Formats: sequence, structure tokens, C-alpha cells
Amino acid sequence: MATEQELLAARIICRAVLPVIKVMIEDNPKLGRKFQGVTAKVQFVAEDPAGPVGAYLQFTDGAFEVVQGLAEDPDLVFRFANVAKMIGMFAGKPVLPSLGPLLKGLVTKPGLLINVFGVLLGMKLLMPTAKPKTPEMARLKVKMTLYMVSTALSQLNKGGDPDMIKWTEKQPERIYQWSVKDTDIACYLKIKAGQTKAGRGEYTRRKPFVHMIFRDIDAALAVLSNSVDTVSAIGMGLVENDGSPEYGGKIGDFMLKIAGMLS
Amino acid sequence: MPESGLTWTVYDADKMTQREIYGAVLADLGDKHPEIVGLSADLAKSTKIGTFGDKFPDRFFNFGIAEQNMFAVAAGLAKAGLTPFVSTFSAFASMRACEFVRTDVCYQNLNVKIIATHGGTSFGSGGATHHATEDLSIVRAFPNMKLVVPADAIETAHAVIACMRTPGPVYVRIGRGFEPRVYEKTEYDFEIGRAVEMKPGRDITVIATGVTVFHAVQAAKILEADDKLSVRVINMHTIKPIDRDAIMKALTETRRIITVEDHNYIGGLGAAVAEVIAESGKGCAFQRVGIPDCFISHGYPEDLMNLYGIDTDGIVAKVRDVMGREFETDEDWEDEV
Amino acid sequence: MALTSQERTDLKRIGREIRETIVDVTGWSGGAHIGGSLSMTEIVTILYWKYLRIDPKNPKWEDRDRFVLSKGHGGVGHGVVLCKRGFFDFKHLEEYNHTDSMLGMHLDSKKVPGVEVSTGSMGHGLGEAVGLALGARVLKKDWRVYCVIGDGESNEGSIWEAAMAAAHYKLSHLIGFLDRNRMMIDGPTEEVMSLEPVADKWKAFGWNTRVVDGHDLDALADAIEAAQAHTGSPTMIVCNTVKGKGVKFMEDDPAWHYGGLNSELVQKAKASIAEM
Repeated sequence: MATEQELLAARIICRAVLPVIKVMIEDNPKLGRKFQGVTAKVQFVAEDPAGPVGAYLQFTDGAFEVVQGLAEDPDLVFRFANVAKMIGMFAGKPVLPSLGPLLKGLVTKPGLLINVFGVLLGMKLLMPTAKPKTPEMARLKVKMTLYMVSTALSQLNKGGDPDMIKWTEKQPERIYQWSVKDTDIACYLKIKAGQTKAGRGEYTRRKPFVHMIFRDIDAALAVLSNSVDTVSAIGMGLVENDGSPEYGGKIGDFMLKIAGMLS
Repeated sequence: MPESGLTWTVYDADKMTQREIYGAVLADLGDKHPEIVGLSADLAKSTKIGTFGDKFPDRFFNFGIAEQNMFAVAAGLAKAGLTPFVSTFSAFASMRACEFVRTDVCYQNLNVKIIATHGGTSFGSGGATHHATEDLSIVRAFPNMKLVVPADAIETAHAVIACMRTPGPVYVRIGRGFEPRVYEKTEYDFEIGRAVEMKPGRDITVIATGVTVFHAVQAAKILEADDKLSVRVINMHTIKPIDRDAIMKALTETRRIITVEDHNYIGGLGAAVAEVIAESGKGCAFQRVGIPDCFISHGYPEDLMNLYGIDTDGIVAKVRDVMGREFETDEDWEDEV
Repeated sequence: MALTSQERTDLKRIGREIRETIVDVTGWSGGAHIGGSLSMTEIVTILYWKYLRIDPKNPKWEDRDRFVLSKGHGGVGHGVVLCKRGFFDFKHLEEYNHTDSMLGMHLDSKKVPGVEVSTGSMGHGLGEAVGLALGARVLKKDWRVYCVIGDGESNEGSIWEAAMAAAHYKLSHLIGFLDRNRMMIDGPTEEVMSLEPVADKWKAFGWNTRVVDGHDLDALADAIEAAQAHTGSPTMIVCNTVKGKGVKFMEDDPAWHYGGLNSELVQKAKASIAEM
């Protein structure tokens, strides 16, 4: 039986990590080409006594979206014996989902499995230890990470994490913004009286309550991979916290918590 | 001698009320500016313009309880080339002598400086006949008039000095004195028409004027400590010309604005701010705090302010009320992809 | 010093010419406060052609005497006088009352050369005249202030506030004229809001008071010179006048407080004036 924490982590994977594949496909033309015109459903599911937990990738003539729950007729299924194992795979641990249903996919949609593996390999970029080899990959990693983190924080709240709920329920409407200087990489988390919403781009309707501004891609990489702690990072000028230092610190803590859950 | 020309510190201001500082400043200015003359309508002692009068008896004229004539005479003196400082209670300056202020002084755009005392509820014990709770809305509508409501004694001094470098009619509306000190420093950038940010903030903005500035700052401290709210406080000392930029900045950066004034909530600071907000076309949660369009009973001004919610407690309550309000039409809480 | 015979002749002629122009302007402008302008013609004529120390070519000359028309609706009369005296070009009279022109019903001190105070609302000008007089004292100047008020205007409390202040401050260089034509819009003053005994009132308020026939140039000259010599208090010259004086069909008729004249009436009016 999966624990509360495991279920929360699974939720984050399904609703925050998987969707970031969209960024990969859109921003990496080589990968994007592989899925051009593809129509397929790729299921990730973990078995649990309380019911299966998962989501599936839906390609519709090349367009991509993540759908929560179980697909009706998936072309490819990554099945995990339990939630912990699913978390493990996304954490980069050596976990093998059962392959049986994979064979079906090999027959009906050749190449899909390979491309999906390609995607999953690409997702490794999200790992803190992964070091991008090119500036392009660095940019991609930062964008994927920030998008993932903002959504993960929102899902942490929606998923019922007691600490997160306690922190969001008292707050009036506030915007927590992340951005990287001189790039178009930006996303935010909107909080209001217990509700949260992750958003893309710069929030323009009001000035963010806290704005974490990364000096550049490298600075963002350093901070997001936790190779530098935030306080030192601010001191070194890698990142600027424009807004309430207490609340900026707190959201940093939650970001670390998420990193911990996914490792 | 500091740039502003002020020779007192905030410590002196502590010992002097708004009116006393006004009298003292004017007396000092009288040395440098022989063209200054002072006028009173039997309120020299109350408005403290008597301090100037004592020092320059040949340049001070009392007109008895005849405010209309006093302003007509002020206009004539200005036409002769002098700079009259005219003092009486704001109720009388704005209402009894309304037409004379408008037609003799403003229409002819004369260099008459009106220091109107006992604004708002500050002469509480006088009852409604002596309350000036419509003065800002009346005077605001006069073309050519500049309207300044200083927050405390030091700001009053700055305003009086600013009168001398501002051509044309100026109406400075102060309290009875005993208004609490707001500024910690004597020197700060005082400019007619430029609001002063007393405290930065991001959740909500309180725009206050006059004695309510002190209360807004107090309220902000409480809200910060108790509610963890980040409240911006703006001292809009000049109602006309209003600092549009400060309002727009508050609008776009905090999206919630409350105005507070010791005045009817009709036609004064609240209305002036609302005009800017409405014409900008941008969404904003907005609330005016002021006397709710009624005549007030007599009482001590502090009690009256509390009764009508324009003191610290009232501002705290109103902020909490507005914070619950939604101005966004977007109620979609689905995470974006 | 009495008027010389030449002065009298000249002033009478100027007075007629002013009245004729007032009639003309009333005609082509569509309407004006003609009655009250005709009643004060002698007062303003003698001031502008004999007593006021002014320079039409230099209307802001620092040491000039100040003239304030507190009964500001007499603007057409004052405007004609200023024009004739050389303060501005005749064409401005032709544009009297036109939108945004220089001259209109109530003269604007910011626009019209020679006009010291923008009046129009009753009860303001005398107070401003007091201010000017006080200003002269503070600045230690010796120019005088002359002010014409109306009898209807004397209903306004602010006139009496100014009266008190002028006496209190002993403004002997302030010389007032009451254009006592006994008519206001709703009828004779004594029926609407009685003013009598008005000379007694001014005396009681501490003014050096004289009563003269407001159309008698010699009497006016005498009173003005006495006022100029008087010290210790301001002077009020109560001028008994006739509203609409010079135009027989207007005289003493409150209806002609304000009116328009077609070409026929213009001719009729001018013919009447010619007989003065």
C-alpha cells in the first residue's frame, strides 16, 4: 500500500514531470521530428491495492498532451509493481517496468518504443546530476526544471501536503515568479487562500510578491541542481530574490522538498 | 541652513503643533520676503498666523469675522504685488468664502496662499458647524488651485515654504495641531504634486492624506505583524495636482487600493484617486474610507476618527475586508502546461 | 478747483459720444446692461478724463491709480470708456460678446488692458479695492483707488464687510462712488430691498460721505477733489443718478437693466442722446 508521501510523489510525477515532455518535444526539433504525425498512447501505471496510479502520454497526429488516469487502448504500457517503483524509475534508479505489454507496441507501432525511450532518456536531463553537454541542452534543462518545479509546487498543495496547505491557506493572492535574465524562460506560481496555480511566462497583472531572477542559464543550472545553496547563490549574484526574503526562503524550502521527493 | 530652509528639527516639531510651526515658518519667511502679508478673520491666535502678526504688525491685517471680505482683500493685495497668506478655519475658507476664493483668487489666478486650519474632524468639539468635511471636494474643483494636505507639523512647514516657490493660488489644509508626528527626518524630498511612499509593499496600497497618514503607517505595521501582509502606504499630500504616477504604480503593482481621509468620502482624495483608476481602464479592488456622507456629532477628534473608521483600527479592518475581495476574473485554478 | 468751461464742454461731449457707442455696442452685440452703464457715464467720464493718473499705452504702469468697477455688469460702459481712452482698438468693441473675444458682459482683468479686477458677481470689487488700497500702504505708494458700486449690489453683506474694513484701516486714499440709480432687476430698490437712508449708513460705517447729482460734472469734480484732500477715512460719494440716463425711453425703467436694441431703437436712442 503506497504511503501518503509516495502517492504525493506519484502525483507530482504524473502531473508535473510528465507534462514537461511537451517542452522537450517542442524545443528539441530532432526529438520533435520523431513524433511528427504520430498518434499513440503511452501509459505509465503503478499497481496499488487502492487502485492503479498513473497517467498516459497522448500523441494525436504529433500533438502531445498528458492525460491523467488509464487509457482505453494504450499502444505502450510501462507497468510498475508498486508506486515506489514508479517513483524510482523517474528518480533515475535502475528500475524496470514489466515488459509484457511492450511487445504489443513493438508490433503495431514500430519505432514508438524507441522514440519513447528516447524521450525518457531525455527526461534524465531533469536529474540534478545530469550535466548538459551543449548550451541548447542547458537551456532546455533550465526551462524543463522550472516548469516542472512550479507545477510540482502547485500539485503539492492540491495533493494535500499538510505543510504546503498550511502555508498557502493564509496567504492573500500572491505571485511567486521565476525567470532567467535575457531569456524567455519564465514561469510562476499563483497562490490565494489555499488555492494554487502554476503558470507559464511572466505574470503581468501585478507585481510578483517574490521574484527569483537567475542571472543566466549557468547560474540557474547551478542553483537548480543544488550545487550551490540559495543563500550563497544570492551572495554570489547567481540569483536575485526580489521581494519578501522570508517568503522567498520558504518557497525555496518547498522546492528542495520536491527535489527530495523525486530522488 | 538646510536646503528646505527649515530651521527646526523633528524634536522641535514634537513640541510645536502643526499650527504653531506654520506660524513660526511664516514669521521666518517674512524676513526674507517683504512681500508677504498676513490676513486673519479674528482667528489669529487659533490659526497661529498671529505669530507672523506679532513680528510684522505693519504687514498683518485682521478683518474680524468677515471671511468673504478677507478673501476679496487678499485678492486686491495680490494685485498690488504682495503675497498674502490668509488664514481661517477650513470650513469658512471653503464654504463661507467659497465664491471669493474661486472668483477673486482662482479665476484671476492670484498669488494668494490660503492656510486653512482645523480641517476634517479636528475641531471635533465644535460640532458640525465647525467641521470641514466637504472642503477638499469643494476646493479641488477650482481651476488654478493647488490643494495640499500635510501629514504632520514638519510637512506643514515644508508646504508653507513650497507656497513661496509655487505661483498662483495654493490651499494648505491642516489640523488643529496635536496631530502625531509622521516623519522621522526634517529633510526629505517634499514637492507639491509628488506623493511620498511612507512604506513599500506588494499586497495592497493605502493612500492616505493629512492626519490619516500616521494611522495608515500604524495600520501597515499591525497588518505586517499579525496578518503577514505587505502593505504599501502612500502619503498623497497633494490632492491637486494628484500624483497620477504613484496611483498607477500602486494599481499595477498591488492591484488593491484603499484611500483614507479625514473628510467625506465623496469628492475628496478618494474621488480623485478613483478618477485616475477608472480612467486607466485597469482592474483594481478599490475602497474609499472617509466620513460616510453624514454630519458628525461633536466629540474629541480621535474618538470621532475611531467612530468613523478613519483611524488605525478602521484602516486595519478595511484592509482585511478588501483583501478578501477578488478583482481577477480568472477563477481557473488548473495548472498550465 | 472747478471745471473750466472748456473742460465742461469737452466732458459733456465725451459723455455723449460714450453713450452713443454704448448704444451701438448694445445694438450689434445682441444685448447689454445698458441702463446701469448709462447711469454711471458721468462718473467714469470725469474719472478717466480728468482725475485718474493712468497711461493707456502702459496699462501696468506701477504707479497708476486703480479703478475698480465693483458693479461689474457695467462692463459695456467701462469697455467703451477704456477703448475711447486709448487702452485698446475699436475692433474689440465690434466683437463684444463674441465667443472667446476680449470683451464680454463682465470684463476679465486677465484679458482687457486697463481692467484691474474681474468683477461680475456682486459684492467682490469693493473688497478687492480695499486690498489694493492696503497694498499701496504696505508698499508705501501714493496711488489712489477709485471704486464704483451699485445700489442693488449694496444688498450684499460683503459690501458692508469691506466698508467696515476700509474705515477700520483708515483708507483715505480709497474713494468710492455709489451709482444710486434706484433700480434693480425686479424693480425699484426701495420696493425689493430698501437701502435708505443709504448716505446715513455710509456715515455710520465711518466713511466721509457726500451726496451729489451723479450727472452734474461740477458737483462730481468738487466731491472728488474734496475726497482727494480728505484724510483719516475713506470717502463715499453717493451719486443720485438715473438708470438709462440720456435715452428718454429707458430712463428710470428697470426693464432696461439689460436689453437689446434693433436698428430702429438704436436710432431712437441716439437721437435722444444728441439732445443732451
